Amino acid sequence: MEKLLQAVYSGILYGSVYGLMALGLTLIWGSLRMLNLAHGALYLAGGYIAFFLISQTGLPVYAAFLLAVLGAAIIGLVLQLTLINPLLDNPNRDSASLIATLGTSIVIESAVLLLFGPQVKQIPAVLEGSFKVGTVLINYHGLLVIGVAVVCLFLMTLFLRASRYGMAIRAVSQNMDAAKLMGIPILTVFLIVMCVSAALAGLAGVLLSSIFYIFPTAGLAPMLRALVVTIFGGLGSVPGTIWAAYIIGLLEAFLQVYLGASWALPGLFLFMIVMLVLRPNGLFGLGEVRRL
Amino acid sequence: MLTVNGLTAGYGGSQVLHGVSLHVAAGETVVVLGPNGHGKTTLLRAISGLLRPTAGTVELDGVNLTHLPTEAIVAAGVVHIPQGDLPFPEMTVLENLLVGAYRPEAWAERHERLERVFALFPRLAERRKQLARSLSGGERRMLALGRGLMSKARVLMIDEPSLGLAPLVIEQVYNTIHEIKRSGLSILLVDENADHVAGLADRMYLLEAGTLVREGPAEELLRDQALLAAYLG
Amino acid sequence: MIRDEAEAALEPAAPGEHSRLLFAARPWAEVNWLGLFSLLVVLLVLPWGLSLIDGGNYVMHLIITFFIYGIVAQCWNLIMGVSGIYSFGQLALYAVGAFTTATLSQSFGVNPWLSIWAAPIAAVIAAVLIGLPTLRLRGIYVVLLTLAFHELARNFITTGPKIISGGGYGLLFVPKLGFDTLLGPEYEIVFYYYLALAFFLIASFAIWRLLHSPVGIALTALRDSEEYAVSRGVDPFRFKLLLFVFSAFFTGLAGGFTAHYLGAASTSLFDFGIMANLLAMIVLGGWGTFWGPIAGTAILTFLTEFLRAFDAYRNLSLGLAMALIAVLAPQGLAPLLARGFHALFGVFAEADEGEESAEAEAAAEEAAPTEAKTPSG
Repeated sequence: MEKLLQAVYSGILYGSVYGLMALGLTLIWGSLRMLNLAHGALYLAGGYIAFFLISQTGLPVYAAFLLAVLGAAIIGLVLQLTLINPLLDNPNRDSASLIATLGTSIVIESAVLLLFGPQVKQIPAVLEGSFKVGTVLINYHGLLVIGVAVVCLFLMTLFLRASRYGMAIRAVSQNMDAAKLMGIPILTVFLIVMCVSAALAGLAGVLLSSIFYIFPTAGLAPMLRALVVTIFGGLGSVPGTIWAAYIIGLLEAFLQVYLGASWALPGLFLFMIVMLVLRPNGLFGLGEVRRL
Repeated sequence: MLTVNGLTAGYGGSQVLHGVSLHVAAGETVVVLGPNGHGKTTLLRAISGLLRPTAGTVELDGVNLTHLPTEAIVAAGVVHIPQGDLPFPEMTVLENLLVGAYRPEAWAERHERLERVFALFPRLAERRKQLARSLSGGERRMLALGRGLMSKARVLMIDEPSLGLAPLVIEQVYNTIHEIKRSGLSILLVDENADHVAGLADRMYLLEAGTLVREGPAEELLRDQALLAAYLG
Repeated sequence: MIRDEAEAALEPAAPGEHSRLLFAARPWAEVNWLGLFSLLVVLLVLPWGLSLIDGGNYVMHLIITFFIYGIVAQCWNLIMGVSGIYSFGQLALYAVGAFTTATLSQSFGVNPWLSIWAAPIAAVIAAVLIGLPTLRLRGIYVVLLTLAFHELARNFITTGPKIISGGGYGLLFVPKLGFDTLLGPEYEIVFYYYLALAFFLIASFAIWRLLHSPVGIALTALRDSEEYAVSRGVDPFRFKLLLFVFSAFFTGLAGGFTAHYLGAASTSLFDFGIMANLLAMIVLGGWGTFWGPIAGTAILTFLTEFLRAFDAYRNLSLGLAMALIAVLAPQGLAPLLARGFHALFGVFAEADEGEESAEAEAAAEEAAPTEAKTPSG
């Protein structure tokens, strides 16, 4: 029974954070049709900026968190303007953007390594204290993380459904030519999408590293999970992504609790391979999977 | 009002339009007839900016629109209703129409514009909560036209409104276009079929192999028997 | 434009002129044989000269590293650069090769000269297993699935049974190939050098031949425009699988060599740093070309040696270089280098890169009927 509770709690925690990251990836994919391999590095940037601000300046934790998210958004902005926009007309943009974003992630990871060293660091929690349910330890901070993530996911969904810009973003991802014909400024939409995605990834980085640790290669695992979630939920579908995030989060948590940590990743990937073969469009995919 | 001069455009290595010049005066309805594959769609795409012209100019009331991004061309008032409708499949009819009013000037008036479009297309009003991908061909065509009307268009460019529709539906679509004309909007319409064009068009052009081969008042071209044989039915 | 090229190619060649289409049929006609031959002689003689110099052994080690990474880089380029398959599983296949032979020889006592051939075979099997589900899907899924394979392989090898994982550190007592018994331990590295050279030459030649055959042209056509290639009768899945297996073979072989050369198969073979390095070799050298990866591997292997002092900044600058080149100069540095070399040695076949895509569409039809006659490519 306690294992169940542990698994559910961890699952919801992972799911919330993966949701933040995957949402960014799916938005980028939807509008730009691009896979952002720098996403893990944006997660990393968020975490390390927060760490730096907290350890080097006297800023209160929540202020540091906010600035870290802002910092990640700015990095995303720079990335979009310097690397992605020039590639938009390039016939090789698929491979070029993969390399460009991969290069960026290498730069950020190396920079972090240089500036902070390879040791594992920890960001202090916003809320101290915890309570126990049986032998399961639940941190207040963990609940806060879940709360923040859920609120953000909800706000994003609201933004996309109910605001003019949100509608524009959805239009671009469903039919770019038609969106252009409605007078929607495509480059602006791309920029907004990138900044928002980067901010979400940075937020995920800040939140998760305050529970676990942060180290120079910490961005890789969340990004892989986010990738799995994005594809499982259906590329470009926001509700699909959110559902998928929690399913994957719970799956991983259950695998960890019942089978041990070393089974989590293989189990996840095996699940994904099976899912891709059976249902390549994911849960709510927007299509475009070609099988020749 | 809309002046196109020497417009040349193509795809990759092949040139489709060879120096096309035409104009649409305020309140006029101009129809460009041409067989399939001869550049009608390319013409509209080159004007609306989806395709970059290699030569020539496009002007609206003297303002040069030629190499502007599509968003600016739409903002200037040139609205292209594309061939094949291009709906936003995962959005409802209502949302699709609202996207049409994206530009700030139109957005402010979106509720009135919506009422007007629903009055013009009662079928769309009935289906306002339905997803666009579940609409029939004729309904999609109405949706595309309605979406175009949601914007503050000064010139409406319509690409093959009769394409792929049953004869009864084509008639309904053209009736609606008559209504649009009556409201005073300038229209540039391209089609391969002259069936419903009588009474609608003020002037006509013939487009063959990317060049305009004839121009004149609609009644004159419509009296030409050879032309009628080639372009009717 | 394509039409013009095809028409020009079909016109009767003026005396002394090669018709362009013939290139696919007799690619050797355009290579500078004298240049290559002299280079080969230099390479053969080099180790003896090096073994006389202080520190020569270290230079030999660098060159061996160049040969081995050169094989892997070329193979990866064949998949990503030439055929446009975004596979990140290359390093894992390399490691699979290394660990297969290491396990067989260290844990089961198999003779290394036998077990080394298990390396490419294991890599090929792995490639088929990954390729079957993955290669039918579009780009982004391939990225994910191959990354997944990388992680799975790493996980399995690191946490798996002791005979494979050596308790998580890898297998550290892999038997060597017994070269030290030939001329004494000081000359052991010379034999590894020749073996690596042989593997490098065989792999490079095989790849070169593949690229300049109808199969190679079909692959470029697949990359540039899959719909067109399919309409010309090219079956993308079969080609991609063939290619995947082909490059897995040599990659696995390189891995096997490494295990016996270093005497160890460590789990650090899976490090993303190595993957980044390999990618940089392809990107900096020239994506999708033949000489590109070779040039890139050379640059990275030797240049970074000289920049040892700045090691910490190496990855950073690599990442930056990759990002900038992807945007500004997608053809990489190879064309510039090629022009330089051509001026000096006349070794490189000129206009190698341009021809590939120009010919791709005009000659893709060659691939279809020819393919039917030679199904193994």
